[in-house]
Amino acid sequence: MADKIEVSGFRHFFRTEIGSVQATGTIDLSIKAGEFVTLVGPSGCGKTTLLKAIAGFLTPSEGNILCDGIPVRGPGRERGVVFQELAILPWRTVRRNIGHGLEIARVPKAEREATVARLIGLMGLGGFEDRYPHELSGGMRQRVAVARTWAADPEVILMDEPFAAVDAMTRLTLQEELGRLCAATRKTVFFITHSVDEAVFLADRVLVMTRRPGTIKAELEIPRSASGGRDWDSFTSDPLMQKIAGDVMHLVHAERV
Amino acid sequence: MTTLERIGTVTIARTFKTLLPFAVLIAVWWGIKTGADVPDKLLVAPPAVWASFTGLVSHGILAEYASASLRLIGTAAIISFVIGVPLGFAVGTNRYAARALEGTLRFLQGISGIAWLPLAILWFGFSQTTTLTIVIYTLIVPIIFNTMTGVRAIPENYALALQSLGAGRLRIVRDVYLPGALPSIIVGVRLGMGYGWRALIASEMLVRQGGLGDLIFGARTFGQIDRIMVGMVVIGTLYIVVDRLLVQPVETLTVARWGVLRR
Amino acid sequence: MIHRWIWRLLPWVPAVIALLAWWAWFAIDRPPASVMPSAFAVIATMADLAFGGRLPGDILASMARLLGGSALGIVTGMAAGFVAGLNRPIADFMNPLVVFFNAISGIVWLPLVIGWLGIGSPLAIFLIWNTVFFIIFQNTVLGVQLVPEVLELGVQSLGGSRWETIRSVTLPGALPYILSGIRSGLGFGWRALIAAELVGATTGLGQLIFSGAEYHRADIIVGGCLLIGAIAMAMDRWLLLPIEKRTVIRWGLVATGQGR
Repeated sequence: MADKIEVSGFRHFFRTEIGSVQATGTIDLSIKAGEFVTLVGPSGCGKTTLLKAIAGFLTPSEGNILCDGIPVRGPGRERGVVFQELAILPWRTVRRNIGHGLEIARVPKAEREATVARLIGLMGLGGFEDRYPHELSGGMRQRVAVARTWAADPEVILMDEPFAAVDAMTRLTLQEELGRLCAATRKTVFFITHSVDEAVFLADRVLVMTRRPGTIKAELEIPRSASGGRDWDSFTSDPLMQKIAGDVMHLVHAERV
Repeated sequence: MTTLERIGTVTIARTFKTLLPFAVLIAVWWGIKTGADVPDKLLVAPPAVWASFTGLVSHGILAEYASASLRLIGTAAIISFVIGVPLGFAVGTNRYAARALEGTLRFLQGISGIAWLPLAILWFGFSQTTTLTIVIYTLIVPIIFNTMTGVRAIPENYALALQSLGAGRLRIVRDVYLPGALPSIIVGVRLGMGYGWRALIASEMLVRQGGLGDLIFGARTFGQIDRIMVGMVVIGTLYIVVDRLLVQPVETLTVARWGVLRR
Repeated sequence: MIHRWIWRLLPWVPAVIALLAWWAWFAIDRPPASVMPSAFAVIATMADLAFGGRLPGDILASMARLLGGSALGIVTGMAAGFVAGLNRPIADFMNPLVVFFNAISGIVWLPLVIGWLGIGSPLAIFLIWNTVFFIIFQNTVLGVQLVPEVLELGVQSLGGSRWETIRSVTLPGALPYILSGIRSGLGFGWRALIAAELVGATTGLGQLIFSGAEYHRADIIVGGCLLIGAIAMAMDRWLLLPIEKRTVIRWGLVATGQGR
């Protein structure tokens, strides 16, 4: 299969008042279409910088980023982003937030409403369509954010620690839901986290980053059962998965700052 | 480049950035004056204002009028602070008192000090007392109001935590309410100074017993546009100086240091 | 139950106390009418002025000036605020000027502008505009700059253009600050208007109370002041607060805009 995303020779510096600071080391990576890749690394290693560059929010100091073989210049609707912070709009109801991407793309109303209704069903948001974000729990809001990105039907979805601000119990549910959603829609996903379990649980492939300036130090394929389904019960009772998680933990642990 | 040199360069750059807009403004003003040939009774050129300024300074006239205004706002600020803050505390720490007074304070805020000026003139004549009364009224309302809301906004847990450590009421006021309400009190003082300075100028215009308002309004009677413009620049500059040199440092020292409230 | 009633009546207590004190003053030592009018005299005078007197015309004149000056200030302030809020260099250039002109906004201009516009409504409108503009401008710039970047990035990643981002993110995001700017702007504008009318107009509520001083009629002044306060309060409660409730509070945002 062709590479959906290709990053080659990427390196980034931030200019500050006291000179430039190196945010990342040289990074090369590629993501195949339909693949779920997670990137795990210590905080400050530059993983968010990399994601922002792929999203088109910043121009890399060095290197190239291709999406479907075309250089990335600025954000675009073929690359959806789910942020850690609440990025849905407080002044739009759940329904209008989820449909925002379709509104921008001028999708006809009937079709838009059908897509929104389908995602509301998939994400368990039924009954909350006309609520405003502040009337929802943290977990519900992040569901809306995920649904908004999926509704816009991008080819690649970039997720930046989307569940970090959610309580631990809800997080487990959201991770399982995301797994199901991906299995159902076969999207290409690039997912950043600092949680080893999360990375191994969700991924087809896990990338491990070094501390700042971060480079990719290891890459592990995660064997998936044919169904592609993921749930925490079978994950925790699967000795192979636990061994992989242990290996990744060792790799990450070595990068403690 | 050494650090010191770098700081020097930054300071020069900053000064330039601050002064450049004014240079542009003065150029535009001068251009309009000469280009459109505006008569002197409407607008004068920058050099005339400068000449008027140096004249007023060398005769000591400006110092006299400016110090009258500054003395008045200073006196009013001290009196308002000394009365307003304790009053705001008394009201703020009691929820019944707060409930009773909030609406009235809002109502009084709607009646600007200057609206009471006619009554104050009837009571105290065309005197400094009239102006002082108006400025104190203008200053004290936002100070009381903000002290009160500041006290009310302190999380109850702070006081409870100290109570569980065995602190008495006075101690809680000193360690929780006073520092907790301080940011809001400072906001009140800044707001009050803003309102008060304007009320002062307006009152001086009508009372005509000295002060910068008197200076510019008197100059109007004689059509001395140059003198009016000098007065305006001095009024603006003094307000900025007072705000930046007195009020803002207190704010940065406390509020910004503790990282509480306000951005 | 009784407690609830006390709670509801509590805001009226200061007014009742003030009325009692007023009455006591008259019972103990009767001040001359030029110093302090009786409450009845105030009511009678205001009624006289309201029915067949100059009061309706004065209220109308003041309100029209406030409306004109504020509308001008809000439109120009928001427009300039958006331009500066979205362009850092423009904001940096304008900032020193704004700090300075804000310090002399409003009534300080009166002696100069009387020479340009003469006495009357244009002068009052200029002074209100000059007062309101800076408050709206500063709040708009602050509001625009404080819209969380992540909200804008989110819409961009959905394919939103710059214009779409401004329309659906920046404008509503800055709205709480703009609305709180409008609220305090109208308050400041109202003050500026009364001050302007004291000397710079022949009609309006400011002129009404000033005439009270000229004719030594304390009843007109006290009645006029209470009316000025009541109008300011009514405007805030029945016009500005409802707008804020319908937008900002509905969205779960808190208006944290500064007072000025």
